[in-house]
Amino acid sequence: MDLERLSPYLPWAGLAVALLVPPLSSGSLYVLTTATIAVVFMIYASAWNFLAASGQGSLGHAAFFGLGAYASALTASNFGLPPVLTVLLGGLFAAGIGLLIGLTCVRLKEWFLAMVTFGFAIIIQTLMVSQFAGISGGWDGTAAPALVPSTVPFAPWVQYYLILAVLVGVLLAFRHLLAGRIGLAFAAIRENEVEARASGIDPVRYKLLAFCISACVAGIAGALEIHQFGYVTPEVFGTDISFWPIIYSISGGLGTLAGPIVGTLAVTLLWEGLRGLELTYARFVLIGLLLVLVVIFLPNGLVSLPRRLREWRRGRGGARE
Amino acid sequence: MTLDPGTLLQILFWGLYAGCIYILLATGVNLIFGVMKTVNFAHGELLMIGAYVTWSLFVLTGVNPYLLLVATVPVLLALGVAVERLAFRPVLGSNKLNEIFLSIGLIYLFQNGAALLWGDDYQSLRSPFEAISVPIADFRLPLDYLIIIGVTVAVLVGLQLLLRRTRLGLALRATSQNRKAAMLSGIDVERMDMLAFGLGAALAGAAGTLWAVSGQVFDPYMGSVPAIKAFAIVILGGLGSIPGAILGGLFYGLAESTATYTLGGAWKDAISFVLLIIVLVIRPTGLFGERGE
Amino acid sequence: MRYTGLILIAGVVLAAVLVAGCSTEPAATETPATLTVGVVASMTGPASTTGKDMWQSAQLAADEINAKGGVFVKSLGKNMTVRLVQGDDESTREGGQKAVTRMITDDRVDVLVGGFSSAVVTAHQSIVAENGVPYIITGASSPTITRRTDINTSMMFHHCPTTDDYGEKTTLFVDETVRPAVNEKFGFPPGRPLRLAVVYQDSPYGKGVLSAVNETITTHGLDIELVASEAFKMGETDFRTILTSVKAKKPDVIYPAAFLNEQVPMMTQARRDVGLDTIFLAVECNDDPDYYKGLGQYGDSSVIESRFSPYAIPKGPIAAKVTAYRNGYSARFGGFPGMMGASTYEGVYVAVAAAEKAGSTARAELASALSTIAVPEMVESMEGGVISFANPFRESRSNLYMEQLRWDAGLQELRPVIVWPAELMESPFTLPAWYRPGSG
Repeated sequence: MDLERLSPYLPWAGLAVALLVPPLSSGSLYVLTTATIAVVFMIYASAWNFLAASGQGSLGHAAFFGLGAYASALTASNFGLPPVLTVLLGGLFAAGIGLLIGLTCVRLKEWFLAMVTFGFAIIIQTLMVSQFAGISGGWDGTAAPALVPSTVPFAPWVQYYLILAVLVGVLLAFRHLLAGRIGLAFAAIRENEVEARASGIDPVRYKLLAFCISACVAGIAGALEIHQFGYVTPEVFGTDISFWPIIYSISGGLGTLAGPIVGTLAVTLLWEGLRGLELTYARFVLIGLLLVLVVIFLPNGLVSLPRRLREWRRGRGGARE
Repeated sequence: MTLDPGTLLQILFWGLYAGCIYILLATGVNLIFGVMKTVNFAHGELLMIGAYVTWSLFVLTGVNPYLLLVATVPVLLALGVAVERLAFRPVLGSNKLNEIFLSIGLIYLFQNGAALLWGDDYQSLRSPFEAISVPIADFRLPLDYLIIIGVTVAVLVGLQLLLRRTRLGLALRATSQNRKAAMLSGIDVERMDMLAFGLGAALAGAAGTLWAVSGQVFDPYMGSVPAIKAFAIVILGGLGSIPGAILGGLFYGLAESTATYTLGGAWKDAISFVLLIIVLVIRPTGLFGERGE
Repeated sequence: MRYTGLILIAGVVLAAVLVAGCSTEPAATETPATLTVGVVASMTGPASTTGKDMWQSAQLAADEINAKGGVFVKSLGKNMTVRLVQGDDESTREGGQKAVTRMITDDRVDVLVGGFSSAVVTAHQSIVAENGVPYIITGASSPTITRRTDINTSMMFHHCPTTDDYGEKTTLFVDETVRPAVNEKFGFPPGRPLRLAVVYQDSPYGKGVLSAVNETITTHGLDIELVASEAFKMGETDFRTILTSVKAKKPDVIYPAAFLNEQVPMMTQARRDVGLDTIFLAVECNDDPDYYKGLGQYGDSSVIESRFSPYAIPKGPIAAKVTAYRNGYSARFGGFPGMMGASTYEGVYVAVAAAEKAGSTARAELASALSTIAVPEMVESMEGGVISFANPFRESRSNLYMEQLRWDAGLQELRPVIVWPAELMESPFTLPAWYRPGSG
């Protein structure tokens, strides 16, 4: 099969399939909900992956996911603004905090950065339930108005399409950014910061930019999720929420646009499929194993699988000749 | 807040005791980093497995759990060697981020593997000396804590002897200082990697035994928080510096204990990161860190 | 983009799976002869021990009902069997929503029972409300569950005491029983306020208990002084510093709002390491065989609030049912059922009673039957002897009681006796000889 020739049509085909999910779900709210949550996490994982493209790996993205969620829920319920609007406010708020956190992080390398981002998620959760409990509702959490009011006909479907539209928008924006000067600068910084600086790229500026954009999109994803849930609690800052986008992005393909999408899809299907087998801990063991195996044997993720297979086949064929 | 000297003394003592567990973890992390220049974020899971191994052996044999150190440490040593050989070696030298992601996979693997194997209910075991306490000043000091502090000191002294007085230790230190030069002078650096990782795991295993014996409960998910704190200590004390880890561990145990007392228990975890971030903002490579890598 | 092609591959996979999923998912498995009950329980994740207890208890109830011929539904003029569907919420908000939606549209459940963590339940409540499914919540302890105003909770019924309930009852017990006992034994003036310390988990559960204690002291004007309230992180294992700091405040009684894996080390460390020779209270979720085993002698004379205990049965009409349930459970699954299991077991019976009363399995009619139902108490003692949701927040009211733990030299383990309230009392509360009050 000649993938190269088909490639211009592929994103459209993917979009078409995604658009078809609700009609194909034959009225199953479960399929629709699972797809909605998956799309939210695709947005979130893409945001994480965008930061990783600049060479920065965050272990605490739940901080931005949760801040966006809280900012949006609180403005929506306190000022009566429509959630469609407050989601963007949530993103902006997360971006603002992202800028502040980014300022402390830009000079840090790998594990220092990993530790500090992880720490920020914990600090923000602690602040939310102690110092800011009066605003945030503390551990009890706070209500978040529905993204699409239930008076709208087919509300869950409309909501799904809305979230899907956000994903498409985010992907287009990321594609545009990464294809341009920013993408080149990110790649240069990722490969070698000193050389990047020598060639006139200001790493601090670009790293901060990555932090801001990534935090903003993660905040939007968080806001979308909790408006769909109808409620937000401090659990939104949990370690698992920080780790899922990493699992999705790594298994899909680090630093690629399609990676988080493919990864989220593959892991969600695996996860839901294993549920049928009544596996409990074994599911997590398998996810852990998948991650370890991908890192070791498929460092570019599942998206590189066809290429790897082709290389492998060609390599074997060549050996035979 | 009134603070009488007796209470203060007691709080400092709990800090010292907590510091012992952290020191063992942090020393292991540092040993691994020194030789391999890599950080295993799943280090806390080795602590958890150490506690479970001790507990299983205790349930099976009923032997004094302190003696089970002799059995737990080799088991963890072997596990560490296996993890290095099977998981870390293939990604070593590739992107540093890969090592972080690999550890996250290992965290899931170990935690849930342990839950499958041992169940996810918490467990605990009782020290044979739990009823004995030593009166010091005006409070009763349980004998167990004195033994734990003693064991930690003994383990650290043993490690120092290994590193300073044996050929193997010399090779380890050489690899740690300059990997290429070590390789050129005929040291099998890959064997050193395995050894360092094994020793690091063994130290975590010893910490696991002490954790269990001190009457603290453990479950499959208990490792992540202490490990994160161990990393914070390592970063405070400087990557690759073992004395730094010891000082950092002590300082950290005391700081945490005082923070719990003054700010409240809700801040117990968060305070470590506040400290860490302050230090890193001032010095991006840690308090005693080496410049660059 | 080079990889965009893979979006297609992924999309095709998704489509294939969805099509396959839809065709294998028999949308019309629903046979009119069953009452389908969806059980929301955490089978995966940190809450799975409780989840298993809830699911197994629900199974026990369903099988008992079916063995007796099922439930008679008037509109159909015949008996229906009860069919249970398991919804694993994976102890997460996302998992809960997936499980609930699957049960609502794919399994077409008539009624939902269960739900454990309040954080998980609040995240799937709005979708349950929108689909108009009656939900008997038997595990979440936060009172917000049925008091939310942002969604319609008229079809949610809370059959499980809340943090408000146990905080209040425990504080009243301390005022009525412990305070006079301390003042009398040590010759304090009768008006001396009791010095209470609360050590709470930093979570909705812990915060809920703390605010209930404060609330009770104020509204009842009790002679209780809250001398310390200290928080700890969920899953904490080392309480020595917190306890040392509590000790410095000289409390007469310590009330931890903790889970079993925290309560046991806390009390052990308090008595053994910190030298806090005081009375510890405990919240009902600790009333489990592991509590008695884990505490050993360190738990002697401590007090636990309860509604379903492995070793005590409150006198009255429910004794026979408790024994039958316990024996049935341990014969089939081994071990003792816990109290979340007990309320879920009752939850299934309540759902069946609603179907009988409504004479229908339609969701709306089941809900309206539930709002006026009065089912005789089963394995837990209820106020007025009935399970009823006829109050503004649709909460059933349990008769909570307090047990004091006494060392049984023969068994070499602790055993409880009910010491409060008066009508259920087996033996009066006593202060042990080693007890030391806070400052006079």
